[in-house]
Amino acid sequence: MIEVKEIRKRYRRRNVLNGVSFTAAKGEITCLIGTNGAGKSTVLKAIMGLTPVSGGTIHIDGQTLMPELYEKISFVPDHLTMPAGMKLSDALRFMADFYDSWNEKRADELMKFFRLEHAVKIGSLSKGTAAKFSLVLGLGQDSDYLLLDEPFSGIDLFSREAITEVFTSDLIQHRGVLLTTHEIGDMEHLIDKAVLLKDGVVSQSFHCEEMRSEEGKSVIDVMREVYRA
Amino acid sequence: MNRYLKLVHMEIHRFRWILIAMMGITAIFQFSGLIWTLKKAMAQFEEQKIQGSDTRKYFDSVPDTLTFEWAMSNTQMWFILPVLLCIAVLSLYVFFIWYRDWMGRHTFIYRLLMLPTARHNLFLAKITALLLFVLSIVAFQLVMLPVQELVLKLVVPAELRSESHIVDVININQALVELIPRQFEQFFYIYGLGTIAVLMLFTAILLERSYQRMGILYGILYLAGCVLVVAAPFLYFGLDSSIIPLYPMEIYVLVLLLFFVVAGVSVWLGSRLLAKKITV
Amino acid sequence: MNTSEGWTEIAFNNRDPVYMQVVRHFKERIATGHAKAGQAIPSRRELGALMKINPNTVQKAYKEMEDQQLIVTEGNLPSRITQDTHVLSQIRAELLGSAVRDFLQTVQKIDIPIDELLLMVERQYREMGAKHD
Repeated sequence: MIEVKEIRKRYRRRNVLNGVSFTAAKGEITCLIGTNGAGKSTVLKAIMGLTPVSGGTIHIDGQTLMPELYEKISFVPDHLTMPAGMKLSDALRFMADFYDSWNEKRADELMKFFRLEHAVKIGSLSKGTAAKFSLVLGLGQDSDYLLLDEPFSGIDLFSREAITEVFTSDLIQHRGVLLTTHEIGDMEHLIDKAVLLKDGVVSQSFHCEEMRSEEGKSVIDVMREVYRA
Repeated sequence: MNRYLKLVHMEIHRFRWILIAMMGITAIFQFSGLIWTLKKAMAQFEEQKIQGSDTRKYFDSVPDTLTFEWAMSNTQMWFILPVLLCIAVLSLYVFFIWYRDWMGRHTFIYRLLMLPTARHNLFLAKITALLLFVLSIVAFQLVMLPVQELVLKLVVPAELRSESHIVDVININQALVELIPRQFEQFFYIYGLGTIAVLMLFTAILLERSYQRMGILYGILYLAGCVLVVAAPFLYFGLDSSIIPLYPMEIYVLVLLLFFVVAGVSVWLGSRLLAKKITV
Repeated sequence: MNTSEGWTEIAFNNRDPVYMQVVRHFKERIATGHAKAGQAIPSRRELGALMKINPNTVQKAYKEMEDQQLIVTEGNLPSRITQDTHVLSQIRAELLGSAVRDFLQTVQKIDIPIDELLLMVERQYREMGAKHD
């Protein structure tokens, strides 16, 4: 379980996060929803230790972040984070070199599934292809948690479909997935739990199916209530 | 440890083309300068022989027999320019070795910070890589010297040349004499000071990366602070050694100690910034 | 044999629990004869991928269907649609019942005598049947 408690963050004299708390459980897909600039990416970066927070705590399975945990938790940012001069094969080699939890066989399967070529330079990838390769790097690790920043934004329809397919596959079974989005779109039925971020705090956090059974509201209905108010 | 070495390897791998290019340029400059100079000297010999007089067409004075030492003293610029170029490139790379990870569409720093290894290894790997670049260029220069002597032997006939000692050859060149010290102590000073300066800069860069605009100020203040610490004994006692109430050896140890303090603090602070304060 | 044949994506509405919609989809297929008694159904993962929904939701739907004895799972074999005729006829009755209820709710607003309504239903039902033949 990823537990985020009361985290705060100031950036350029603005309180981006004002005490954000939520949890993301293993075996579930949790979606962090918020308008652009609501600080969704900052939350993910804070969990991954890529940016300091000015208050609050973050625990992953009860532990605070330490280098060894990077074997257990992988992050797919909204852009590819390998040097442009590397070939795809170099990047895979790099991952295999540095991560004990790297699963070469799975990475190969994913490369085939996304039809990615090993000899291509990273700098020459289109946005959709880069997003797919980014996902290969994230899923190639046998990690317990997977964090994805806007995995569907700005990429073509077919890349979206391919990525959606990953979400319903056994690739993410038993993992805890935390992803961000600013529009729920076709993800409505993919996610277990929604966490709505507004004005630097969590204004709603619910399991989608419970919300539907108990209040007869879709995620979009709740979003309307939260963001239109 | 293992991942530290892998990181060093990766840093070297990323720089390899620039390193090879610098070595290539150095070799081209030095060899062409040497050959050109020797050819000129030979031509002057020829003319002197034909005209029987003391012509000074190319060189004011050409000795009776050519030595490597003479050739070196007459090719100063050809040797110094590429060395200066290498120094300039490496100095810029002190900054670029960090900033390149934040630059461009694919910011590698995300990945580096997410490696399952203590982050001070990033810091240490980068400083190690830079040191290795410097040492490999110096080593390359050292290896080139005997090759250049061989070139001299090939170009100049045996009766027109005489042997010279490699130490004299290095001494006569203003750049080489600084780069290739003949005593370990000197080597230690030059490269030790250089390393400490780079460590200070690394930490200043990380201050900027951690605190953005305010970080620039912090970085500059940090550098100033470091200089102040090292210069403290001189500021305190003044430069006039006759009135300093310490033996020279004591001053020496004191300054050395302060350098170690600055190096230690830089590594500690840099690692801490990487672990706690850095932002992507 | 490919168990995933015929199970395509369905248009879910966002407001009803998705697992209930999956259960309903199964019931409809059984009632209409698209899914035969005893037929193997896709695994949870296959169905999740086919319908593009969260595997946990499919899991919940299968659990619900097992509770309602709609499907049976024995050991590691794929789940099958029940052969219990009692349950099957119950599904049919349930679906018909709810369809009739929906229909009546709409019709109730229009004040129409039951005889007249039944006549209309009968006539239209025959016409539809004629078109189908």
